[in-house]
Amino acid sequence: MNSTTQLSRPLLYSLTLITALVVAPHFQRLNAVIILAFLAVLGLRWGTLYFSGWKPGKLVLFTITLMAAILIFTTYPLLMGLEAKVALLSLMLGLKLMECRSQRDLIVVLFLGYFTLITHFLFDQEMLLVGYVFIMVITLTALLVEASRTSPSEGWHFKSLRYSGAMIVQAIPIMLLLFFLFPRISGPLWNLGVDNSTGRTGLSDSITPGDISNLIRSRAVAFRVDFDETAPPPQQRYWRGPVLWNTDGYRWTRTRYLQTEPVSYRSDAPPISYQVTLEPSPNDWLYALDLPETLPSEATLLPDFQIKAKNIRNRRHRYAVTSRLSYHTGSLNERERGLGLQLPDNITPRMRDLVRQWRSQNTSDLALVNQSLRYFRSEPYYYTLTPPLLGNNPVDQFLFDSRRGFCEHYATSFTSLMRIAGIPARVVTGYQGGELNPLGNYLIVRQSDAHAWSEVWLEESGWTRVDPTAAVAPERIEQTFDFDLEENSILGIPVIFSTGNSGLLKDLTHQFRLGIDAANASWHRWVLGYSKEQQQKLMQQLGLGNLNAMKLAIAMILAIAVMILLLLYLLRLRSEVKPDPVLKDYLTFCRRLSGKGIQRFPHEGPDDYSHRIIRKRPDLRQSVNAITQHYIRLRYGQSDSPQLRRTFHRLVRQFRA
Amino acid sequence: MNISLPERFIRRCRSNERDEAVIGTRQIYIIPTRYGFAFAFVLLLMWIGSINYANNLGLLLTFLLAGVGLIAMLHTWRNLLGLTFRLGHSNPVFKSEQACFEIQLINPRRDERPAIGIRFKKTDNAVYCDIPPDSEQLAKLYLTTERRGRLPVPGLQVSTIYPLGLFYAWSYIELSGETLVYPAPGSKQIKAEIPSYQLNQQGDKGVGADDFVGLRSYRAGDSPKQIDWKAHAREQGLHTKQFGGDRADLCWLEWDHYPHLDREARLSALCRGVLDAVEQQQAFGLRLPNQTIKPARGETQRQLALRALALFGETAA
Repeated sequence: MNSTTQLSRPLLYSLTLITALVVAPHFQRLNAVIILAFLAVLGLRWGTLYFSGWKPGKLVLFTITLMAAILIFTTYPLLMGLEAKVALLSLMLGLKLMECRSQRDLIVVLFLGYFTLITHFLFDQEMLLVGYVFIMVITLTALLVEASRTSPSEGWHFKSLRYSGAMIVQAIPIMLLLFFLFPRISGPLWNLGVDNSTGRTGLSDSITPGDISNLIRSRAVAFRVDFDETAPPPQQRYWRGPVLWNTDGYRWTRTRYLQTEPVSYRSDAPPISYQVTLEPSPNDWLYALDLPETLPSEATLLPDFQIKAKNIRNRRHRYAVTSRLSYHTGSLNERERGLGLQLPDNITPRMRDLVRQWRSQNTSDLALVNQSLRYFRSEPYYYTLTPPLLGNNPVDQFLFDSRRGFCEHYATSFTSLMRIAGIPARVVTGYQGGELNPLGNYLIVRQSDAHAWSEVWLEESGWTRVDPTAAVAPERIEQTFDFDLEENSILGIPVIFSTGNSGLLKDLTHQFRLGIDAANASWHRWVLGYSKEQQQKLMQQLGLGNLNAMKLAIAMILAIAVMILLLLYLLRLRSEVKPDPVLKDYLTFCRRLSGKGIQRFPHEGPDDYSHRIIRKRPDLRQSVNAITQHYIRLRYGQSDSPQLRRTFHRLVRQFRA
Repeated sequence: MNISLPERFIRRCRSNERDEAVIGTRQIYIIPTRYGFAFAFVLLLMWIGSINYANNLGLLLTFLLAGVGLIAMLHTWRNLLGLTFRLGHSNPVFKSEQACFEIQLINPRRDERPAIGIRFKKTDNAVYCDIPPDSEQLAKLYLTTERRGRLPVPGLQVSTIYPLGLFYAWSYIELSGETLVYPAPGSKQIKAEIPSYQLNQQGDKGVGADDFVGLRSYRAGDSPKQIDWKAHAREQGLHTKQFGGDRADLCWLEWDHYPHLDREARLSALCRGVLDAVEQQQAFGLRLPNQTIKPARGETQRQLALRALALFGETAA
């Protein structure tokens, strides 16, 4: 009760167990030595409880603490990184548990436990973990409830557990209100140096042959898209990412723009607007359909139409974009022409011969482009997931020897050939296609949709997208890229695209996966991705317009006050004992009489009361007698029936004193 | 926790016409405990952390706990609401002994009310109990008495920190009721200056218990213990033995016997006299300046005399 009261032993057993469970999800990332130390401390605690004679003295506690400190600082020197801080927190929790004797200690342990729970979310944000943390919150709170009782509740704290569960369920509406209405601050308060080097898959800002075909094995989601209207057809869904200009004949990289002037292009096509929810990636660019027009405020459009953005690394980011699907980019400046014609040293004579042959047949650039696409289509080129390994001149080897390749092989070779022909060209990487999820009505773009294509500059149309992969494997562009990786994993064989009519079971599992993804998407949009912008948008949808932080806070407080009053009402409704209807009717009868000065004494039975009434008011004899007799029969007799109750109710209602 | 509020602003919960005090909605005070403040601090840290790492799940957890904190306030308040108090039996005590007040705590609700603490406003050691649903519990509170006379139930303070210990809710209860405090018995050395014994003029009627006086023939209703069974065995018929000793001394305890003492000391001395007389099974009478109690013996007489001594000099006797 007060802070010096000794804690009961069952409570301490539960506390030890729950502490272990609270820290448990960290075990996967903590150093094994730290985990062992933590478990050892807990085991020691358990032992001291079991052999109740021994309580660790000050000296023992000091020694253990010192050992823990040495352990921490040797395992994580300088305490760099989140892991080290988590390790420190876990050991602190264990040590505090060790010396837990009074209620004050218990509360410190429980508060540290709450704090440990929040650190899980720094590493993992899956729904499963959320469920686990929710259960842990209930159990920690149950211990708090149990500790504030005078005597322990019987039956393994179940009463406290139920109470704590009820309280947390009641707290959920308040949590939601706070979550959606609490004024948000965008951006961190100070830089904590979150380590960014966690290996996440995704496009990088350069490609070498084989990069994208590795990426394509990952079914991980790259981003999800909600279109305001209908989504464009699959062959139009080119999600533009990094644009690669520079090459050394093996690797293709981006170019640097020193300053960016406003970029524009001409277009007659209607704008398409949509929202993209980007999964965390270590990159600083956003994806949009060719070509993006209006951008979110944190992003800038580079002259080659890549979108660069600030503060988006390693977190889920949601942004709104509009694009136009047909366009004319206008004239070409000298710098871009130079970049677009830059050639590496390893151009072989047979490549030059091939291009010279095309040039002799075509005078216009457009005709030459078409000629080269025809070449890719008619010659035995194959589209394969597992291209043979190429040496240090991959373009030449691919074009003339292996002829088996993936989109990046086609795009880079095509771009090289165009540059040899004197047509400015560049490689664009990004994603192509995406799967429409009918359950959530949005588009899922996966890492397996990663793609590379080319852009050539033509006099008639400016920068023009050319996808040589489409010439070789048009199915890749028109269908969802959903082939069986097992079937296509043999080295060098052409990809067999699925025909669409797969078995029922496969169809069902696919539907199920789409359902899960839809749940995930709402989870990401409404919980993980809820930001200041989302908050403003929600307020606008609710018709509240742009609320500033002050108004938002006031709205929040009002809403919570209403919630608490509602809760109060429900709680009172639940707890007060309801009088049974017969008694209620009888009390009405008594109230009517006491209004006329004949009050029933607390000690007076109904029979005595009726005699007294009749003595005072003989005129009421008949009705008072009827009511009293009915009441006695209903309350004390054996003849209880709904019909009798109704009669009694009617008698009381008609009674007028 | 001891909170002092300005007396005139305090809302108290008083006994109603059925001598019960029910805690109403407006008579409950509530403040956060130091654990409550610590909890708020932890939440603040969690909030700052979540904002910094732009971690919405962290915010969600922080807000859930904030919600739990608010709800806890509601539940702590509700744990006192509607709790009913009634004063139970209380025995009179002698001055500077501990007076014991039995207070009935009635929980008319279908939910348990754990961790209800009750104490006198002026003392520190509270009694804690968990009251099961729809039931009553008895709490015994002790108070050292400092003066003789009527002792009304001192103001009570009922408190709880249930369910989470984050909030402390309390209420002031004023129950109507009192107990009697007798004067402290004086020391045995104090002797009355005037002997106070007096012989019973009509003693020895044969209904005493001391000396054998004689036999008389049996009358229906005589105690079997007093039948002379030996005579019966000798076939002399049923006879009842008679005892004398009822002509014992009669003792008068008088205010005027102690002229050398002040008022309280006289009352103490008289109190001692009453106790001694009861112990020796003497009949006694009490003569105070404004009141005379006729000689008698036994428990009733004792109570009557002590009551008179306790209330001596008080207006409403």
